Amino acid sequence: MVNSEKSQPQTEAWRTTLRLRSQRLLATAGVILVCAGISVIGQKRKPARATSKIDYTQFQHTTKQHQEACHICHKAPSANWKQASGFPDIADFPDHDACVRCHRSQFFKGVQPAICSNCHSRVSPRGEARFAFRNEARPEQFKIDFPHDKHQDVIAAIRADQNTALRFAHALQRKDYNNCTICHSPNRQAPKALASGWVDGFVPSFDSFKTTPASHAACFNCHWKGQEPTANNCAGCHKPAENYFPDHVPHRISMKFRHEGGGEKGIHAAECTTCHINITKSASLKGLKPDVPITGCTECHNKSGLREDLGNELAQIDKNKGFVCSYCHTSETGKRDPPPQHYMVADRPPLTRKEIK
Amino acid sequence: MIRTRISRSTTCQACIVLLACVAVAFAQTPNSTGVIRLRVRVSTGNGSKAQGLSRKRFFLIRGSLSDNAALLQSFAERPIVSRDCYYRSIGASEALLAWLKDGDCESIYCRSVDQLEVDKVPEFKLAMATGEKVYGSRELARQWLSTNLPENINSGFYKHQQAVLTELLAQAERQSQARVSSVMTDSNGTAYFTDIEPGLYVISNVMPAEVADSSELWLCEVKVSLGDLATATRERPYLISDPNNRDPRDKKNIKCVSLERPLPACRRQ
Repeated sequence: MVNSEKSQPQTEAWRTTLRLRSQRLLATAGVILVCAGISVIGQKRKPARATSKIDYTQFQHTTKQHQEACHICHKAPSANWKQASGFPDIADFPDHDACVRCHRSQFFKGVQPAICSNCHSRVSPRGEARFAFRNEARPEQFKIDFPHDKHQDVIAAIRADQNTALRFAHALQRKDYNNCTICHSPNRQAPKALASGWVDGFVPSFDSFKTTPASHAACFNCHWKGQEPTANNCAGCHKPAENYFPDHVPHRISMKFRHEGGGEKGIHAAECTTCHINITKSASLKGLKPDVPITGCTECHNKSGLREDLGNELAQIDKNKGFVCSYCHTSETGKRDPPPQHYMVADRPPLTRKEIK
Repeated sequence: MIRTRISRSTTCQACIVLLACVAVAFAQTPNSTGVIRLRVRVSTGNGSKAQGLSRKRFFLIRGSLSDNAALLQSFAERPIVSRDCYYRSIGASEALLAWLKDGDCESIYCRSVDQLEVDKVPEFKLAMATGEKVYGSRELARQWLSTNLPENINSGFYKHQQAVLTELLAQAERQSQARVSSVMTDSNGTAYFTDIEPGLYVISNVMPAEVADSSELWLCEVKVSLGDLATATRERPYLISDPNNRDPRDKKNIKCVSLERPLPACRRQ
């Protein structure tokens, strides 16, 4: 009992201590919660701060929100196809709706909203002028994928036939047959030079090269609808790529070769696959080189008693190891060691210039 | 300290050895493969003259004829669906069949269709009428004729052939445990298989080719040795032909002859 009487004030003090401690604990927890809350709110606000730094003048297809189905923005055909292409085409930038549905605030920001400069050459409420579609001044964001093998299978399957053999012996020269020239026609424009100019000042003739498709014209005549990939399936051909400016300068090891050359008869205009021996097995443009082995040339250019152009060049190197091969090449290639295959085709063991005394 | 030096020098030596091995491997690459220069010639008329079988795809299957016996038998026994039979089966008009045959075309993508042909072939006429409405231009409707033709006319035959081919090639790859490569012959009937590991292979067109009124299936064994294009072009090509080829130019050089079967008779559905 005595003990209990004595212990009463002690219990009271203990309770007070407990109360104080629990109040402190609550207060601490409160402070932590408030801090955490602020921190969370702060985090949520961060992107808002970041968005203000977005450069709306630089439209990117890689932006996550821009990766919806292509036809949501790009209409096929665009309203201007008759004037722009003459065939149903996607020949213009998407309509305003494509941008406004997400970018209303940027769209009406200021007198000259930055976002408008993606398509419009003059940003003004009444200005309708737009850049050419596509705008060459902007880097490309897609690369084209094209399976040569599938196309080779369906175009002009001209075969020997008891009845048609003679009639179609020269079918490849008939214009109405669909062969490689359906996409790669003889070039009619002067080729662009490297930034450093033409090597040795040698300007290749325009007909040295074939063209490559530069618009939908070569595709849509079969792939507009029905035959996949169709006009609405952009991703069938256009594969996302790092921003780049395409290099329109011709790169060729044998710069002096002319596709339309080969003497008066224009013998070089043979069937493409005779020289481009690997093209019919190519399922993609990735890593594709229009490789032509030396044997493609020496069938004619190293025939004993006919022409010995390769042999003559190699003989010149024998006499003078500093000789620059110039029949096919400009000097940046011609001064190198001829590849072993050049010697082997000429029935000689391979040599390097160092080995020649 | 000494240990560290030793281990460093050992690592360096190992790296040098490794680099040397890589260099040797790269240096050996050009000589570690072979090339097949294939030439396919088929007889015309009475067989006394032959000419190149152009634009025909051939496949290279790893292994010998006996290694692939079951597979090759399945190629040979598979029923043939000829171009005519396919187009008849989808109800194509006689005029369309004639148009395809006239140009020796397997599909309408083979060549362009001129205005006279549009008027002759009912399928073309219908597609042209649709095209004119949609595109508002007669010329565009003609140039884009295929976009208004039914899919089975456009690519039905090709897709049918491809479906069979894909299945057979998958079977070939499973069995030979190697990738099957392919090339297409040029206008002279020549094609090159390049960068092939030496060994025994079977060259086949897998799906019989229609030549005149027959179907030709090649199942040819070829031994690939080390070599390159330069060597291959100096040697005689690997010539394959049909049983009727009696062209004196080819007589002694034919390495393999096709299995010839008549094209099947087909009924209109």
